[in-house]
Amino acid sequence: MSRLLHRGARIQLLLHASLACLSVIWAYPVIWTLTNSLKTTGELYSAPWSLPNPPRLENIANAWMQGQLGLALLNSAYVTVVSVSLILLFAAPAAFGFARLKLPLHAVLGLAILVPLMIPSEIIMVPLFVMFRVLGLLNTREGLISLEVASGVAFASVVLTTFFRAVPRDLEDAARIDGAHSAQVLRHIILPLAGPGIAAVTVFESVFVWNDYFGPLILIQKPELFTVQLTIGNFSNFYATDQVVLFGGLAIAVVPPLVVFALLQRSFTDGLTIGASRY
Amino acid sequence: MVFAATKPRRVHLENARNLLWVLPVFALLAGVLVYPLASGLLLSLQRTTGSAQGEFVGLENYVEAVYGDGTFHQAVGNTVAFTVVAIVLQTGVGLLLAVLISEVRRGRLPYRMIFFAPVVLSAAAVGSVWQWMYAPYFGLFTNALAALGLTEVSSSLLASQSTALWAIMGAFVWRWAGFNTVIYLAGMQSIPKEYYEAAMIEGAGGLRRFRHITWPLLLPYTYTVVLLTTMGTLRIFDLMWIMTQGGPAHATETIATYIFTTAFRFLRIGYAQSLAFVLLALVALLTLLLTLTLRKRANQVVG
Repeated sequence: MSRLLHRGARIQLLLHASLACLSVIWAYPVIWTLTNSLKTTGELYSAPWSLPNPPRLENIANAWMQGQLGLALLNSAYVTVVSVSLILLFAAPAAFGFARLKLPLHAVLGLAILVPLMIPSEIIMVPLFVMFRVLGLLNTREGLISLEVASGVAFASVVLTTFFRAVPRDLEDAARIDGAHSAQVLRHIILPLAGPGIAAVTVFESVFVWNDYFGPLILIQKPELFTVQLTIGNFSNFYATDQVVLFGGLAIAVVPPLVVFALLQRSFTDGLTIGASRY
Repeated sequence: MVFAATKPRRVHLENARNLLWVLPVFALLAGVLVYPLASGLLLSLQRTTGSAQGEFVGLENYVEAVYGDGTFHQAVGNTVAFTVVAIVLQTGVGLLLAVLISEVRRGRLPYRMIFFAPVVLSAAAVGSVWQWMYAPYFGLFTNALAALGLTEVSSSLLASQSTALWAIMGAFVWRWAGFNTVIYLAGMQSIPKEYYEAAMIEGAGGLRRFRHITWPLLLPYTYTVVLLTTMGTLRIFDLMWIMTQGGPAHATETIATYIFTTAFRFLRIGYAQSLAFVLLALVALLTLLLTLTLRKRANQVVG
């Protein structure tokens, strides 16, 4: 028996050792970016493996000023907050209706809402661009927001419907007997009880909108409207000769999402796993 | 039975009321999805730069895409090759990490967090970081390979036609493997412990337990991973656009990057849209194929 335990402990030790090695490899690209952002150009070339000595914050400051990252972060935050709010505003009532629809409408509309999930946005980018140009929505935050809302709303409705269905019907019936109408049922019964669903949708839609590169790339050309992703995408071209500033910019782009993830990691893994097919 | 006569009317009335809740979403989708698809269909039959009225050319664009465009064929080849290798690596690495983590008795959380962390980063950030990891002189990979004596520090994997696509694969696997690990870990929790205990009493070793219990019972999860990977890679654009813009010499050109350059660099709007519909056909075909083969096998195991 003691030999068995001993063997078990040895295996655990081996497992931890190999996972720790893999973790270091996995984290290294981020660590490398962060340490590089604190180096001088000389250090970057002469000592690619070593730590910055002494660490300097001037690259990050330079990247912030030259790359207008503050403005880009604000643009991204604005677009994300408005888009995700609108997605929830459209999707929650739709899910409420969906959860109550009966055959035959239920089957027809249930299938119809799945169609957008099968169509990648790459397939409609050209006609969408033409349409947005005619409507004067190119180079506007409103245009970008409407694109983000449209590409998120179908999936959000589908996910919310499954959460709304799980709310016991008895609660709703009781409220209706007390004289509540549909909007009140949705606000006071369904939404509070489907909290985890709302949280999951908020997480994956926020990550999706914040991280989206394709939408802004097509719709936004004006630098003052750039989102973080566009700015970062352009950084490599602008600062190809001043790499430490580039790493400063990358550090600014990489750290905030990682911090938010570390604080909310459970709801992130759950939300993003539910939101898988949105990617 | 008493209600039989009144029920259909009540259902219709209730349906009509609930329809009101659903309508706004469909109105939105009609405007930003159905309309572009329909106008895209018309665009794909024209020769047009998008601004002036185009010239109707019938199926000419599609004929050119399928028979006459070598670069497009290369893009399709790259996309399919990338998809196949991505499927193997994503299931492989995802499953390997999941198996290792699931065997750990205490302290799984930090590993889960570290492997999942890249999922929350944007393609633009991941692409840029990895682009510079392959940079000559100071790049992480370049230095590591040079230290092993495999390449020169002055070279870059992204600059060579034979390695560029697979260098991007590194970024892709790094970004998504942890996601698949979380899916597989969820799947492993659904396998009853008794199966393993019974197998151990019968004297089955770790490898046999994996082959005869873990792998078959995880097939539905493998189906999910394969499907999501395929949907993601067939349309892949961001990493390529950030890291190489499809170069060198179209070595990393994918269908989506080629549609983008055709439309917005060469302003062949109509032709680009016909390429987009070819991509849609490919996505539909592969999704159907995967559903028919993998899902059937997965269901057999579960059912």
